[in-house]
Amino acid sequence: MNCESCNKNPANVHITEIYGEEKKERHLCEDCAQAASSSFTKMVSPSDILSNLISQVAPEIGEMSKIVCPVCKISYLEFRSQGRLGCPMDYSVFETGLIPLLEKMHSSSHHIGKVPLAAGEEIIKKNRLIQLRKDLNSAVEKEDYENAVVIRDAINELTGKTDGTE
Amino acid sequence: MELSKLFNNTGAWLSGTGTDSDIVISTRIRLARNAARFPFLSKATSTNKSDIERLFYESIKASSVTRDLFYVNINKSSAVDKQFLIERHLISKEHADSEGDRGVAFGKSETISLMVNEEDHLRIQVLHSGLELDETWKTIEEIDNELEKSVSFAFSPRFGYLTACPTNVGTGLRVSVMLHLPALSLTQHIEKVFNAVSKLGLVVRGFYGEGTKISGDLYQISNQFTLGKSEQEILEIIGGVIPRITGYERMARQALVKENKAQLEDRVWRSYGILKVGRIISSEEILHLISQVRLGVNIGIIKDIDIKSLNELFILTLPAHLQKSEGRTLDANQRDIIRASYVRNRLNGEKIGGEIKNV
Repeated sequence: MNCESCNKNPANVHITEIYGEEKKERHLCEDCAQAASSSFTKMVSPSDILSNLISQVAPEIGEMSKIVCPVCKISYLEFRSQGRLGCPMDYSVFETGLIPLLEKMHSSSHHIGKVPLAAGEEIIKKNRLIQLRKDLNSAVEKEDYENAVVIRDAINELTGKTDGTE
Repeated sequence: MELSKLFNNTGAWLSGTGTDSDIVISTRIRLARNAARFPFLSKATSTNKSDIERLFYESIKASSVTRDLFYVNINKSSAVDKQFLIERHLISKEHADSEGDRGVAFGKSETISLMVNEEDHLRIQVLHSGLELDETWKTIEEIDNELEKSVSFAFSPRFGYLTACPTNVGTGLRVSVMLHLPALSLTQHIEKVFNAVSKLGLVVRGFYGEGTKISGDLYQISNQFTLGKSEQEILEIIGGVIPRITGYERMARQALVKENKAQLEDRVWRSYGILKVGRIISSEEILHLISQVRLGVNIGIIKDIDIKSLNELFILTLPAHLQKSEGRTLDANQRDIIRASYVRNRLNGEKIGGEIKNV
């Protein structure tokens, strides 16, 4: 069906107007519909609806959606729809968006496990400290003071060394 | 490497040995790793993929721990060979189905497998029979340490080992313990196990991992979180849960023996009987039958077959295995007939019954 008004473009706007008892249907193309009625000049496009929806459901995506990784060129929105990142750099480029996501998945966003030797001793030491502090808390919670003392000494030794070298 | 050489035996993880092997089939640990200077696979060009493959191939061949592994080029493998490797748990379905240069390195005992260009550049897997968390971890950590000498892995101090999917980031560690829980399934207590397990952040999957349905009363329990806990903590959580589940399954088995002895024996012997005399057995049915017989062997009802032979029956009658042994492609109907005949021969030692002559 073509537009009733210009008869050129396909009619993709269908309006039902009701005046009192009278019902009137009009089939217009987008251009004529916008010209015909000021209420259509601010028609919301589907992509706007989508981004409105996204910003309600996952607010971080809204702010992030325009960010594109300079290395692999993946956008944050693309990552969210595929679930796969494009390159290791994405973890820093999308960090703001990733942190809440990781918190949801893993209940944490800090790595405290194994560190490759090449990554350096400082990180290994730092992660060891995070782990030891966690252990200390749980030992205190369990009122296992004997163990807590041992852990505290280990922490002191590690931090002592750090202070010494700095 | 000619895959048919593998055909006549099965991986060491199916030997039916190890701790709690009456319930725990296997312990599997995998690590996800990526090379620092390449994009992840979804953004990798075909040149990237071949460079990544060469990098890891050379790294595997340079290390004394992995030097002697076979290497199979998956990109050049036939559909049946790929299915064959999936059935042996040497590669994943995703690895078989993806495109571009990729491969797998594995040992003669099939304990170690290194998938190159799967979802991540490298997936290291170590599989052992029974509940063997420490030994499995030791092996995989050694491989990881060795490869790290020649490849610089993508790593961030904050997020740990970086992976293509954020569900694996951090340790990149997934520990999966495969359990045979026929009594808990039968007495419908299995839901309670699932609920308890999920509260600890663990998940339950089917035999072939993610997205596969549960059959043959086989359940894989694995960690969902990979970040925020150390490798040792993850191992301890799984290591703490499994003995509780095996204990629960043993209680359920004892209760069945005590309260429903005749029904239990009947179920077990009928299943064994169908395996010995059946003429058409589907892959779904054989899983169910083997599950019942496995239970029968483990509680002492059946004494003339061991767990290793049952595991062999199970693997060697999978679709690609049957087709490799027959040397031709078979449709599902043909496979069901050949499967039944293969099982009869294995269990009866010789053919029983005769050919139909006069009708």
